[in-house]
Amino acid sequence: MSLSKLVFRSMKKNMKHYYLYFFALIFSVTLYFSFVTLQHNGEVFDSVQKSGKASAGFKAATYILYFIILFFVLYANHLFMKRRSKEIGLYQLIGMTKGLIVRLLALESILLFVGAVAVGIIVGFFSSRLIAMILLRILEKETLVKMTFSTQALQQSIVVFVILLVIVLFQMTWMIHRVSLLSLFSAAKQADERVKRFSPLQMVIGFLGLVLIAYGYYASTKLFDINNAGNLFNNMIIILATTIGGTFLVFRFSVAFIMNTVRLKKNGHLTVHDVLALTPIMHRMKSNAKSLTLITVLTGVSLGITTLSYISYYSSEADAYSQIPGDYILHEDQGQDFLKKLEENNIAYDKVEYRLQGVTATIAQLMAEEQKDSPFYNMEGTIYTIPLSDYQRRNPNTTIAGNDVILTNYGGYMAEMFPLEKDRNLVVSAGKLKETLHVKAIHDESIIGGTVTSGGGGPIFVVSDALFEKLSTQAKLFPWHKQTSITLQSKKDLALAEKLYEESGADAITIFDNDGNTQNYKIKSFEAERKGNIESLGLIIFTTAFLGLAFLMTTGSILYFKQMSEAEEERGAYTILRKIGFSERDIMKGIFMKQAFNFGVPLLIGLLHSYFAVKSGWFLFGSELTTPLWIAMSCYVALYAIFAVLSVGYYKKVIRESL
Amino acid sequence: MAVLIGRKVKKVYGKKSTAQEVLKGIDLEVNEGEFVGIMGPSGSGKTTLLNVLCSIDFATEGVIEINGQSLRGMKEKALANFRREQLGFIFQDYNLLDTLTVKENILLPLAISKLPKAVAESRVKELTYLLGIGDILNKYPNEISGGQKQRTSAARALITNPSMVFADEPTGALDSKSATALLKNLQSINETKKATIMMVTHDAVAASFCTRVLFLKDGLIYSELYKGDKTRQAFFQEIMHTQSVLGGDGYES
Repeated sequence: MSLSKLVFRSMKKNMKHYYLYFFALIFSVTLYFSFVTLQHNGEVFDSVQKSGKASAGFKAATYILYFIILFFVLYANHLFMKRRSKEIGLYQLIGMTKGLIVRLLALESILLFVGAVAVGIIVGFFSSRLIAMILLRILEKETLVKMTFSTQALQQSIVVFVILLVIVLFQMTWMIHRVSLLSLFSAAKQADERVKRFSPLQMVIGFLGLVLIAYGYYASTKLFDINNAGNLFNNMIIILATTIGGTFLVFRFSVAFIMNTVRLKKNGHLTVHDVLALTPIMHRMKSNAKSLTLITVLTGVSLGITTLSYISYYSSEADAYSQIPGDYILHEDQGQDFLKKLEENNIAYDKVEYRLQGVTATIAQLMAEEQKDSPFYNMEGTIYTIPLSDYQRRNPNTTIAGNDVILTNYGGYMAEMFPLEKDRNLVVSAGKLKETLHVKAIHDESIIGGTVTSGGGGPIFVVSDALFEKLSTQAKLFPWHKQTSITLQSKKDLALAEKLYEESGADAITIFDNDGNTQNYKIKSFEAERKGNIESLGLIIFTTAFLGLAFLMTTGSILYFKQMSEAEEERGAYTILRKIGFSERDIMKGIFMKQAFNFGVPLLIGLLHSYFAVKSGWFLFGSELTTPLWIAMSCYVALYAIFAVLSVGYYKKVIRESL
Repeated sequence: MAVLIGRKVKKVYGKKSTAQEVLKGIDLEVNEGEFVGIMGPSGSGKTTLLNVLCSIDFATEGVIEINGQSLRGMKEKALANFRREQLGFIFQDYNLLDTLTVKENILLPLAISKLPKAVAESRVKELTYLLGIGDILNKYPNEISGGQKQRTSAARALITNPSMVFADEPTGALDSKSATALLKNLQSINETKKATIMMVTHDAVAASFCTRVLFLKDGLIYSELYKGDKTRQAFFQEIMHTQSVLGGDGYES
């Protein structure tokens, strides 16, 4: 029999083993090809190009994607080879040289790769259209996507997968050459070394793991505290090291230790759950600790990244509102043309006017003692005040008297980084006037635009009308005196109003600062601001979501593959159990527990990791935490559940076949 | 009283065109307290018969009753329960779970029963004393010898106080010393606890511990020997004689 014939026969016979590996490959090719096609698509590229450094972002993402795929395929190949160790041993036993076996398996791999690349490119071509549509939808672009088959993308994918094939072949050759005939037969058994005795030392190490994780979490909540600012990088390294190291120690020692303690308590009288979930997990922990740690960390990282980018996407509206708190913001007495045009076109709107008066103050007077190292602590800045009567138009029930003030408009990033305290006094000045204000309350509602408060979410004071009058005598010292917020009554008029806003030139504003120089500002409409935010973030969000998904799919598949091979290894145990009188359903009860552990624990710890990671710095990315975090986490849980269900299904099949 | 009754038990493997009849209609009865051996050349259907009788495999035709209960028509779950509660098994390759200790392996069949712990504990004590494995209860299967593994397996088979114990070549993987020790154990358990045992073996020495030996040839019962009051040695000679009549391959192992 010739070599090629042997290859075809063994492939036909082993179809069941191959399909897993084959699908892993197809999946990788599809992912890669569709991503690359997207890059070479003119329409998509043009619309993305506007959102900044598109090509650089795409390129970086392609490299990351390639590493994910490389890692994934190598892992799948490793598992696949391990499963076939008996076959390889048998070939050696009947006298084939290792060289010949390498050639035999290389031929198989080449065939598999060619097939997978072909199928993957076809699937990838179609899925790239779907992905392009999703991308453009995220960017709120209404371009028609025409997909053309990109030969550039084809070339790039082929080159990349040929390189991958070479790496896989090296791995295979190395694996075949490294192992002896004897160990090939017991390769499957090598993995589960027996856990025999548990020393108190292991208990201590296991506990240390928990302590490390707890410390890492604690440190992450303090990461952006002002007094740590200088050591940001060091602190991040420490947090990463403690959480990852702690995760490993927990998997390596704590889990097995806790389980063994539970088990010893039972003094031999185990339940089905113990037999099918507790003891196998416990005994496998030693060999599984590394991969579980890796999966947990990857889950945490990818979820963290996805959540952060989702937060910025989700917050783009809120951020725009803190910059432009109203559909249109007009300043001073400019923009009257625009209002006239609105009326001419019968567009109904609400108008709120705020009189503004600046004061000079060091905001640090409102900060807590611990923050006194803050660079803001002694910096003087301009803070605007508005009179109570203007404020009451939106908040009719508010009253203040004397020198009491309400600090409002303070939200987002600033509020997170530099929390202010109420019930404090601060001294403000305006020219020669000096006043001591008492801050009665702090609110985060957006009233005054970012142009006035030098960035969205800057603080303003609501003061009594009497005080405002007094401060107004110094009006000339500060550039801004009035803001008019326009809110359309019906969103239907938005498109027309946008056009009128542009046409009337209301977006351009000229003011005189206190030195008498003119300053030109461009103030976008709320809608334009929001779209701008989405455009500048859209690509980042898209690529991170895409990579996050790729990470998730790989970690999920790896867990699934691992469970498949565990199921195969434990087939013998199921046969025994069924022979001595356990029904399929009894055994499945234990399997559910086992899967709950295998998928649930890495997911749970990964979720915790990412929760603390996101929590430590989310405010740098946007202004909404809870909703995006929950949505991203739910997506992850749902996708993990799919893999868990798949693996339960596989176990079911193995158990059914086992008798 | 008959614990096990088989009537016209037939087993056919394969589809119609390639059908191979392994059991061609076997009638047998096993009474309470009997220690029955089944012998026969390779391919005579010994293990198939045992598997069919103990409900691990299905008979193509015929009636099998254990303790008056017919196996035909029982659902998978009912059969599993029946096996767990009424039957005990000892296999050639021990079939112990290597993630469990000896004691846990012995108690395995009780994992889903509601037997009080104290009762289970006293049974473990009694059986491990009878089988001489009381001092290895906390060891893992890979830390003990083949003979000890098989005695563990025997203890597991007996822990539920089964109506019947099925043993498939229990001495097949043991050296002669451990084999003899195990068989003596089985014999004494058969005598003291009145346990009904059916054992498949191709070893005449092993068979000589039984009270009755059935010989299978080509899927049919060829003959039957009773030990009666004979010594084990005499019974052994008789078995050897029948085996040599039965066919040339009686001595292979």
